[in-house]
Amino acid sequence: MTQKNRLKTGGRIERGKPMKFSYNGRSYQGFEGDTLAAALLANGVDIVGRSFKYSRPRGIVAAGAEEPNAVLQLGATEATQVPNVRATQQELFDGLVAHATNGWPNAELDLMSYVGKVGGRMMPPGFYYKTFMYPQSLWETYEKFIRKAAGLGRSPLENDPDTYDHLNQHADVMIVGGGPAGLAAALQAARSGARVILADEQQEFGGALLHSKEQIDGRPATEWVTKVVEELRGYDNVLLLPRSTVNGYHDHNFLTIHERRTDHIADKAPANISRQRMHRVRAKWVVLATGAHERPLVFGNNDVPGCMLASAVSTYINRYAVVPGNELVLMTTNDHAYHCALDWANAGRKVVAIVDTRANPDGELVQRAKQQGLKVITGSAVIEVQGSKRVSGVSVAPISADGSRVTGSVERLSCDTVASSGGWSPAVHLSCHTGSRPEWRDDIIGFVPGKTVQKQLTAGALNGSYSLQACLEEGTKAGIDAAANAGFGDSAADVKAPQANAHREGKAMPLFHVPHTKPTSRAPKQFVDYQNDVTAAGIELATREGFESIEHVKRYTAMGFGTDQGKLGNINGMAIAAKSLNQTIPETGTTIFRPNYTPITFGAIAGRHCGELFDPKRYTPMHKWHLEQGAKFEDVGLWKRPWYFPKAGESMQEALNRECRATRESVGILDASTLGKIDIQGKDAREFLGRVYSNAWAKLAVGKCRYGLMCGEDGMVFDDGVTSCLAENHFIMTTTTGGAARVLEWLELYHQTEWPELEVYFNTVTDQWATMTISGPNSRKLLSELTDDIDLDRDTFKFMDWREGTVAGVPARVFRISFTGELSFEINVQANYGLHVWEKLFEQGEKYNITPYGTETMHILRAEKGFIIAGQDTDGSVHPYDLGMGWCVSNQKPFSFIGKRGMAREDCVKPNRKQLVGLKTKDPQKVIPEGSQAVNDPQQPLPMTMLGHVTSSYYSACLGHSIAMGFVRGGHDRMGETVYYPQADGSVIEAEICSPIFLDPKGERQNV
Amino acid sequence: MSELIVDKPAAEQPTVAVMNQVPQSGPRAESPLHHADLPTIARKGPQQGGVYLEELKLLGHLVLRGSTDNQAFMAGAEKVLGVALPGSLQSAEKGELSVRWLAPDEWLVIVPGARAFDLERELRAAMSGHYAIVNVSGGQTVLSLSGPKARDVLMKTTPYDVHDRNFPVGKVVTSVFAKTQAVIRRTGEQSWELVIRRSFADYAWLWLQDASAEYGLVVRS
Repeated sequence: MTQKNRLKTGGRIERGKPMKFSYNGRSYQGFEGDTLAAALLANGVDIVGRSFKYSRPRGIVAAGAEEPNAVLQLGATEATQVPNVRATQQELFDGLVAHATNGWPNAELDLMSYVGKVGGRMMPPGFYYKTFMYPQSLWETYEKFIRKAAGLGRSPLENDPDTYDHLNQHADVMIVGGGPAGLAAALQAARSGARVILADEQQEFGGALLHSKEQIDGRPATEWVTKVVEELRGYDNVLLLPRSTVNGYHDHNFLTIHERRTDHIADKAPANISRQRMHRVRAKWVVLATGAHERPLVFGNNDVPGCMLASAVSTYINRYAVVPGNELVLMTTNDHAYHCALDWANAGRKVVAIVDTRANPDGELVQRAKQQGLKVITGSAVIEVQGSKRVSGVSVAPISADGSRVTGSVERLSCDTVASSGGWSPAVHLSCHTGSRPEWRDDIIGFVPGKTVQKQLTAGALNGSYSLQACLEEGTKAGIDAAANAGFGDSAADVKAPQANAHREGKAMPLFHVPHTKPTSRAPKQFVDYQNDVTAAGIELATREGFESIEHVKRYTAMGFGTDQGKLGNINGMAIAAKSLNQTIPETGTTIFRPNYTPITFGAIAGRHCGELFDPKRYTPMHKWHLEQGAKFEDVGLWKRPWYFPKAGESMQEALNRECRATRESVGILDASTLGKIDIQGKDAREFLGRVYSNAWAKLAVGKCRYGLMCGEDGMVFDDGVTSCLAENHFIMTTTTGGAARVLEWLELYHQTEWPELEVYFNTVTDQWATMTISGPNSRKLLSELTDDIDLDRDTFKFMDWREGTVAGVPARVFRISFTGELSFEINVQANYGLHVWEKLFEQGEKYNITPYGTETMHILRAEKGFIIAGQDTDGSVHPYDLGMGWCVSNQKPFSFIGKRGMAREDCVKPNRKQLVGLKTKDPQKVIPEGSQAVNDPQQPLPMTMLGHVTSSYYSACLGHSIAMGFVRGGHDRMGETVYYPQADGSVIEAEICSPIFLDPKGERQNV
Repeated sequence: MSELIVDKPAAEQPTVAVMNQVPQSGPRAESPLHHADLPTIARKGPQQGGVYLEELKLLGHLVLRGSTDNQAFMAGAEKVLGVALPGSLQSAEKGELSVRWLAPDEWLVIVPGARAFDLERELRAAMSGHYAIVNVSGGQTVLSLSGPKARDVLMKTTPYDVHDRNFPVGKVVTSVFAKTQAVIRRTGEQSWELVIRRSFADYAWLWLQDASAEYGLVVRS
């Protein structure tokens, strides 16, 4: 293909570096420096998609982030598919593959057009509300159809081969936008010595200057840009971020920047380089210099390919040396857009006419156009476009001075391109992200940033200051002020801003919606939002139907809902709604601008927090051993805990049966290192324990251990564990694995806020100790073979005692405590020696058939004994008495304890509360699913009266039948009675209420 | 080898149990990153790169808790350590001993592994009043992160500002470290030390390995 619209000279492209690309399966060529949009236009590609509702062909309208139509699917391979790419922002690279996303099945040959025209009638404004709400069951069908047709692109079906990452940045001055104002600001801030970040979404800094023919300090503006960028590069306190869109401006001057590091190089990033990077910036001061977007005018058939923004036409001509047509009609409400016609004429193509909506335009550019012999039709407008796949002509008619109606006869002009300009809308998006509402200014016919609580300055076109000189001056001042506010440089310094040529501009006309000879509802479609096919008639319909708030109009019409977020059309839409409601634009207001400014990939949001790095995995010192033994793991908090240790060919239940029996018959071993451990020192440690536990601690002697229940202020159990007295002022507390951090915070909270007078310090030692529990009748024998300095005599080293000594040559603390009901020793050694001691226990324990068990066997063994697990058998609504653990509450303590008053509340002491009981199924082999609800009468019609649920339920190999614990209303007084557990499959499991202690109710086994 | 020691006159009941947790000889010690076999990576892996990583393993770690208003505590610490307990966000160093400020009433003292027990006893002998000392040598490890790109790796990892102007040599910060936390100390122009909790060490290692990939990672041991 030849680049028929490419000029021989000019532009910021490298003609010596041609690049091949494909679009919809056809090969084209562009040059380095092109955007994909520029290259498509150079090759005369008019249609880039089909519209959402009406399936109308659509072409490229803009040259930047505001582009609504040229939203393409990129990717040469399945894995590198990227939806949602604006061709106007995608740099061309050799080998780029793009497809139109909307226009199913094909943007140019469109089968949908037949359906689509029906679809259009089917989808008036409010379609979502009117149609999709009922029947809801059909929504999924509708959604698939509409999504496919709506051009939202598709995600890849294979894993993304690229990586994405995050970088935390800090700046004294963060400047958003690298146009004239941003560059001027950056220069001053950089010279002050402040740490400066300058980010711009384009590949080059310069903003509008890159396609401007203006001069600065008597030289072409691009030379000034080069000079400034050069100087900025020389500062090590400056970070320049091109290809980086500041997508979010959050509270406390936190900004998120989406940098595309390799999207301009290839489909896939080079090895070890992230494709995109999210910069998370915390800035002392922010200078917003985000510029402005040109507003198109709304007129009949304004969506026919060939209808473009005036400034975009200039950009394509001057920056990319592409003239996107042959015969131009320009419609404008202002002087600035005359640049477009002048650039077009300078490129050697025909300007059919400049249609100026103003009666008497007289600015400098108007004069220049007239001098160059361009035809200027004043007081008129393009009311309608002819053509379907490309503009073929326009209808021009005189309009009233207020732009409300056509006042004369219609003239037809032949052309293939219609540029329009309704003035400029400052890009207030970022300034609004932090909650600031924009303010309307009649003099610039646009919204500017409103009051903010952020440490933020604004400069340039964002402020409605559209002359180059004003941009340079405001940028210079903002740079100096921001740096000074951040503590750098001198705000009073007399710095002269660079000088640009001044142009005398005439007054612009406030016009948004061009009138037609017919009423809006019958005129050809006048598009406001191209991406969602929202028309002026649609907005008027919405207001007629009573949607008066602009937020309601937006939701009713879907205006601004697209991936372009209404950058092009929203202000026009608000103006049309305002007119229709007979109110002013500021009275109508804007919708809320929210991050992100342009679409961002999920990859960039996730960064490296994915795959293996998604979440930390915590390991015990013995983890490698568990892996080697083929353990199955369970996640407990962030910990990886062995769940069970299956042998070859064993089912899970078989493994559990074996592990349980081995423990009860000889000796089992559990890695309990994950239990939370808190070292408590200080003379008031004991008193503190008495206040945070429900039971008594005053008399716990050195060398002794005690089980404790911890309750919240409401009296409900939230954690439990064994705390041991190491010395008079020294305790070690254990917590549940998942509760460790919360318990430490709880202790600190109460110490720091309620009882700071108590002399006590808490330190986490969870990771410090490797903890291994040997349990079973042979555990003492095994331990005796590995220690010679601990007296293991049953009467000397009693149940609930601890001793210090040496185990397998390693200093250890051994706690004779039991969670299995068996004779049991918990051995604690410094974690560095954990695996050594663990392996020694296996060497010595072989003759006792020492059996490792995991959390599941631990659960079964403790359930056989009726021991609760906080978090499984409690849920924050259960106090100690509900658990049948009133023995663990001491109301005799001189100082109160947390939860004492809570559990004495009226509701907590009423009879018939849900109480924890044991459950024995009638069929001993039947295991009640956990969560099953108890009922008294399984025949009761639905909804049945539910009495409580099963919290723990297992098959006990040692007992030969199933065991369960659960809550039953008034259960403690219903021993021996039967309750029923209806199941989802219609069956009912019958169970007898019993004591939760199924095994060794007298507790003899642990005392042997 | 292990004993209950007394930090009050011998006649009284000991108020705190101090334990020598390190065996004299024999049993092997495994640092938190033992399983990663860094020595082999150091030997066989790249020798040139932008980031250098080494585990400074099996050191003695003592957490000191006490009020700066407690003169006996502050003076005792200075006498035994040979340096004063540093102020906010600061560290101090003397020979093989380093002290990191962790919080207004909390410091971390790091010494060679075999020294922790004696040091704790000496500190207790020199202090009085309300204070605490906890041996956490097994619960954490130190990673040395250095090289021209070490700072970039930290920028990927922690939201704290690690720029020269905000983070001079000697400064210490406990902050977010990817999805865990670390005590970050700057030890030189291009060198940093991270104190990482044992159970998170594997995660930290994987993270650092990944974050360093684009700069080239050299493991040392």
